[in-house]
Amino acid sequence: MKPKIAVFSLTSCEGCSLAILELENQLLDILGAVEIVNFREAMTERDCDIDIGFVDGAVSTPTDVEEIKEMREHCKALVAIGACACQGGINSLKNHQNEDDYRSYVYGDGAKHFPTIKAQPISAFVEVEYELPGCPMVKEEFLALVKAVLSGQQWALPQTSVCVECKKQGNLCLYEKGIICLGPVTLAGCGAICPTFGSKCEGCRGLASDEALQAASINLREQYDIPLENILADLRFYGAYQEKSLP
Amino acid sequence: MLDRIVEKNELLELVDELSRERTIIGPVPREEHYFYEAVKNVRELDLGFNYCVYSPKAFLFPPTETLFRFEAQDGSFGATPVLEDRPQAFVGVHPCDINAIRLLDRAFSRDHADEHYLSRRGATFIIGIDCPKACIEGVFCVDMKSNNAEEGFDIMCYPLEDDGKGQVVYGVMFGTKAGREWILYHQAGRAPSVKDERDFKQYQRQKEQAFPRSIPYDVDTLPDLLERSYDSLLWEATARRCYSCGSCNLSCPTCYCFDVYDELDMTLTSGERKREWDGCQLPGFALVAGDHNFRGKAASRLRHRIYRKGKWVREREGISGCVGCARCDRACTAKISSIEIYNQLAEEV
Ligand code: SF4
Ligand code: SF4
Ligand code: SF4
Ligand code: SF4
Repeated sequence: MKPKIAVFSLTSCEGCSLAILELENQLLDILGAVEIVNFREAMTERDCDIDIGFVDGAVSTPTDVEEIKEMREHCKALVAIGACACQGGINSLKNHQNEDDYRSYVYGDGAKHFPTIKAQPISAFVEVEYELPGCPMVKEEFLALVKAVLSGQQWALPQTSVCVECKKQGNLCLYEKGIICLGPVTLAGCGAICPTFGSKCEGCRGLASDEALQAASINLREQYDIPLENILADLRFYGAYQEKSLP
Repeated sequence: MLDRIVEKNELLELVDELSRERTIIGPVPREEHYFYEAVKNVRELDLGFNYCVYSPKAFLFPPTETLFRFEAQDGSFGATPVLEDRPQAFVGVHPCDINAIRLLDRAFSRDHADEHYLSRRGATFIIGIDCPKACIEGVFCVDMKSNNAEEGFDIMCYPLEDDGKGQVVYGVMFGTKAGREWILYHQAGRAPSVKDERDFKQYQRQKEQAFPRSIPYDVDTLPDLLERSYDSLLWEATARRCYSCGSCNLSCPTCYCFDVYDELDMTLTSGERKREWDGCQLPGFALVAGDHNFRGKAASRLRHRIYRKGKWVREREGISGCVGCARCDRACTAKISSIEIYNQLAEEV
């Protein structure tokens, strides 16, 4: 029996699910190795358990909470894909705003029909076996994870920061041009795609470590004379930073 | 002693001819800096470059490479090594980077010879270009005794005359038989005259004045200094700023650590064993079984790096583990500087 895989979206743009389809060259191989099942059907047929469930999107509404709990029950392994599912993502920008404000400017008069909660990663509600961060998730990481799970090997995210991949690309560091890039504090895995194309890293994959964030807060103040608030704003954009304490 | 006098234009013509048999890799201007890149046309090269952001190390020891392909099926296992030996030539390598390559040669040859590195290295022809003065502010190659290269090149070119407009006369020294044959076979340039030898002496005298010193002691005493600094408070005080990003390692021409992993094909029965650059400043570098990390703190990792560069490698290989190119210092976005550390430690003890 082929392992069953399902993909499901909570509050998100579904870009991460789309990223799977972008694996054009390997997609047929994947389809040969696994059976893709429809999540909704799987949940009604009680005997239809799922081997790997991929979930994109943040938990941002009461319905999301119900759904993620139900998904957890049906999946042997649950994988959070993308910044929204791993950190709350762009949705979590609302966490820093007044609820009445954002509800009225998003839903207007219909606001009362759309209950909403603070946007949170799915790991805040259920146990998650793996996380594939990034906005969108990195499709090569998705492929590596699928292969690891199918072959019973261990899989883990890198522990390093984006600078490692940036150096491997042979890029000129953006700091040489006076640009404050978030690469040193951001978790590697994207291949440093933004700096490689000339844009600073915005931290979409989340923090490399708390120590790195602590170092940033010291360096920005002592070496660059830049208020920490400037980079926290960037880090909040993808939910990389919520409210960790700083020195 | 010089072996030959060759003008730059003639050298470039020779290199152009060499490009029929070898990939030409040399300094190319990009974003107001220079980078070693493979070029199609030798006119893309700028041999008057000051320094390259990265050394040519990646062309001998790439950031990621396949070591072998394997196949495991029905109880049988087969592996095919992947070796790269396409002929290449580095055109325009400064003494620091040549000395760094010498160190890599030793590191990859000792104990277990690393065929992947050595097959690339064996296929590499190196044309050095000497530095008449410090290439940029902040370098300390002179302190590391690495601003001259005695070996590690096929030919070395000393810019004896430079009109600043692209006309350069090189005094050429042969480093290998291949280098000698290359120049002599093409009958390039002319034999050095007595005046050329005098000019060369003058060049070397001027060179001695053109490298400001950065540390106030002889680098031969650095291993002892470090020995006494193990418990210095400096490590902790400096490492609080360290991101553990590894940029210092990955831009260093003498760092040669790597990590090995397997990448399976979608069939899950075949795949590749690969390696990629690793670095001692990265948090997981010293992580071993049982989740034990014997250098779990940034301070111990920083101390380790400085000890490697200033002490251990020198003690083991007989040549400096640091060539003073300052790429680590420039790469560090936390502005942690190895030369500052060498100086601060000297003040402490
Ligand atoms: S550009 Fe950004 S990611 Fe790249 S090395 Fe510099 S700080 Fe790191
Ligand atoms: S470089 Fe930074 S912002 Fe860009 S994809 Fe990678 S983690 Fe995200
Ligand atoms: S330690 Fe720094 S200065 Fe020394 S060789 Fe490496 S990058 Fe250059
Ligand atoms: S480049 Fe600087 S911040 Fe990054 S690991 Fe090296 S010393 Fe630490």
